[in-house]
Amino acid sequence: MSESQTLENNSYLTFMLGDEIFASHVSNVIKILEMQRITEVPRAPSFMKGVINLRGNVLPVIDARIKFGLPATLYTERTCILVLNLKIDDETVEVGAIVDAVNDVIEYSQDKIQPAPRLGSKYKSDFIDGVMKLNDQFIMILNMNTVFSTEDIIDLQEQTNANKEVVSDDETSKTE
Amino acid sequence: MDMMEEFKQKFIEEAEELITNLEESILILEKNPKDQEQVQLIFRIMHTLKGNGGMFGFNKISEFTHNLESIYDFVRNGDMDVTTDLLNITLKAVDHLKVLLEVGDDLDTQTQETHYHYTSQIEQIISRKSGGTGPAPRGTSPARTIQTNNFHHGESAFSTYFISFKPNDYIFNNGTNPLYLMDEISTMGHAVAIPHFENVPEITSFEPTKCYTWWEVFISTKENRGNLADVFIFVEDDAIIEITEIADYDLFEEKAFNTYAEFLQTENQHADLKEIKKIIDNATEITDIPEILEESPGLEQTDKSDVPQLGDREIKKPKPKAESSISSIRVSSDKVDTLMNLVSEMVTVQARLSLFAEQNNIPELIAISENVQKLAKQLRDNAFSISLIPIGSILTRFQRLVRDLSNELGKKINFEIEGEETELDKTIIERITDPLLHIIRNCLDHGIEKPELRLEKGKPETGSILFKAYYSGSNVHIMVRDDGAGLDPERILSKAKKKGLIDESEILDRKQIFDLIFAPGFSTAEVVSDVSGRGVGMDVVNKKISEIRGEVLIESEIDKGTTMTIILPLTLSIIDGMQVQIDDEYYIIPLGAVHKIYSITGTTAEKAFDNVIVLEGEQLPFFNLRKEFEIGGRVPQKLEVLVVKYEHGMVGLIIDKVIGEYQTVLKPLGKHYKKQQFISGGTILGDGSVALVLDTNKIISKFSRKNTKPEDVK
Repeated sequence: MSESQTLENNSYLTFMLGDEIFASHVSNVIKILEMQRITEVPRAPSFMKGVINLRGNVLPVIDARIKFGLPATLYTERTCILVLNLKIDDETVEVGAIVDAVNDVIEYSQDKIQPAPRLGSKYKSDFIDGVMKLNDQFIMILNMNTVFSTEDIIDLQEQTNANKEVVSDDETSKTE
Repeated sequence: MDMMEEFKQKFIEEAEELITNLEESILILEKNPKDQEQVQLIFRIMHTLKGNGGMFGFNKISEFTHNLESIYDFVRNGDMDVTTDLLNITLKAVDHLKVLLEVGDDLDTQTQETHYHYTSQIEQIISRKSGGTGPAPRGTSPARTIQTNNFHHGESAFSTYFISFKPNDYIFNNGTNPLYLMDEISTMGHAVAIPHFENVPEITSFEPTKCYTWWEVFISTKENRGNLADVFIFVEDDAIIEITEIADYDLFEEKAFNTYAEFLQTENQHADLKEIKKIIDNATEITDIPEILEESPGLEQTDKSDVPQLGDREIKKPKPKAESSISSIRVSSDKVDTLMNLVSEMVTVQARLSLFAEQNNIPELIAISENVQKLAKQLRDNAFSISLIPIGSILTRFQRLVRDLSNELGKKINFEIEGEETELDKTIIERITDPLLHIIRNCLDHGIEKPELRLEKGKPETGSILFKAYYSGSNVHIMVRDDGAGLDPERILSKAKKKGLIDESEILDRKQIFDLIFAPGFSTAEVVSDVSGRGVGMDVVNKKISEIRGEVLIESEIDKGTTMTIILPLTLSIIDGMQVQIDDEYYIIPLGAVHKIYSITGTTAEKAFDNVIVLEGEQLPFFNLRKEFEIGGRVPQKLEVLVVKYEHGMVGLIIDKVIGEYQTVLKPLGKHYKKQQFISGGTILGDGSVALVLDTNKIISKFSRKNTKPEDVK
């Protein structure tokens, strides 16, 4: 996501994975599809769910839960496929991401976003653009470009906890 | 400015093509120096390059080709013989032209030097010929004047021509001002131009960007037809131009003709060539109209027996473009790509229609759908054939490479080509050129031995390289075979171990050893030459070929030679496929790969020993795709085996059942699935779901490495 894009547009799409809320800048999301039959591709990594037909083209679909190290669950009526527009190595790539539910599109001012905390070597902070606080809930803004271009499973669980700690530390330090 | 850039770009594209043709012709001429047709062609190409180059600001190209052209003018008039020296210089000059095309008129010092070097070489040839007068000034080569004089050996050097010039209405778009052309024509002799305005519309519907006027011109001139045609050289494609010689003397000397021309001019009438013929017939005792081109069907063909030599010579020369423009057109590749995309979408929609018709069982609908299917298939094949080009189109580069490199390396080589008419998708051709160049370079550099060494080994002094392209099922095979030193498996193996590409303890079969030369950082050449052998090469070749879903096979025997076979898909976009089912997923297998289909029971497949089943008394290694694809589910009682060709043998692929033929529009799976190489892509089925298209060769090579000994797959 480029700087100028982010400045122009402060809209974020929030979605659920497990109990956590995540956000993606709307510029990355082309459309939201209902869950549908996915053609499986043999011998692919477990988070690569398969391919679907998107307007006559083949769209690879990633299960975000598995990608983020969460246990797989059955798909429900609320399960959606986010069609994302990513920039990977200067190429525009479309990819689908299965999420548990889509919540909302919210406006959130750029300067209120807190930077992602840098933690140990186990994860890359490239995956997180920042953290928002909304109704006492912490929402991680994912950098969709980096998250969905790696071939590894990302352990976001650990990340989530780390974020909370850091953000609440900040809060306390402010009030003091 | 932008417009000019665009034209320049067009010129460059065209010039590149012309230079390639030029090279090709020169190489043909080398084999048969008496080939008059090639000489003509070479001359014409140079002439076009000269003209266009000057027009688009490539003055260096223009000057340079002018001199070259003069040489070939001598040749074509029989005043000079085609010698190896001449061809060598010409080929070098062609290379220089390529450089000039790239850099334009701003030459760096080195290019400048070569430029002068070649220019003076060429000038020397010319001056030797024309008695030391040095090169002819631009535009009026002495040769041409002589030639013109030769033609018109009668009392009058004049001929009268009738020119009809009908520009397209969009001719202004490329910056042409037809009036300038008329002016230019007028300078060539005594001319009367009659503009015609009947196409000019009412002022309300008049569009100032369109050209509505057309012209008829009578001209008596000393110039020949070709020179007249040259005036229109840049508008050939944008106008209908007819040039007819109506008399071999100055018709304006005839009063009757003058009156007639005046009448046409004032009354704005169309010229009637019959009328003119009458005037000629009546006027003098010269009763023959020398020659009339086929292009003006309105004219009666007259007996040409009395026509002096001139007629014959002139007919051969009209610009080939004007004649061939009807049988072939130039279309930008973008348009072809769009056409292919549209056809692909239509094929997809047609599949939906077929499915819908089947489900609803309305006889009329089924009939319509079948018709649409037939049409879609024809349309597909047609559009497909448009985007195919023969592999011969890139062979000139290879021939040139072999010619130059063999001289440089002091090797004697006979380069043979078979199957140059084999057609491939243009994107594949574009992407296969560099890898092929590299392979051929390798043959020359490492493969073929020096003549002395060859004699020592008891081989003929002249080495041979065979380039052969042919169809095989849904693939095209390109084979490059040399009779050189061959690859030494022992040496490859020890080298790979030394470089740490494989472990000391690893045991590889012959094929695996040869495949090692594709490993990054592997180069077998003992001496690193500037030709090849830098260790980047074969791995890049392999990578580039697999990017277009191709494969390279190596066969080699020490001192007998090496054969590299590149197996390529016919196209990257649409294939004839066979739809098969495993569990509840559908897959497409290229129809061309499937040899036979057998039906077997589930238990036979389960109980088969060592992945081999016996069919019709023959042992057949097989792969159970359900197992290989890690699809669970219950195995049905009845299964089917597809027998597919693999390398030199047959291999079985077990699937649940065959559904039928399916026209497959291939869509890439995208970056995220780039590791699943055995899948060529996906395709949209009639019901909108996606089926995966399998690459049988890659499936077999992938899974045979994994779970069977390679000997099983022959």
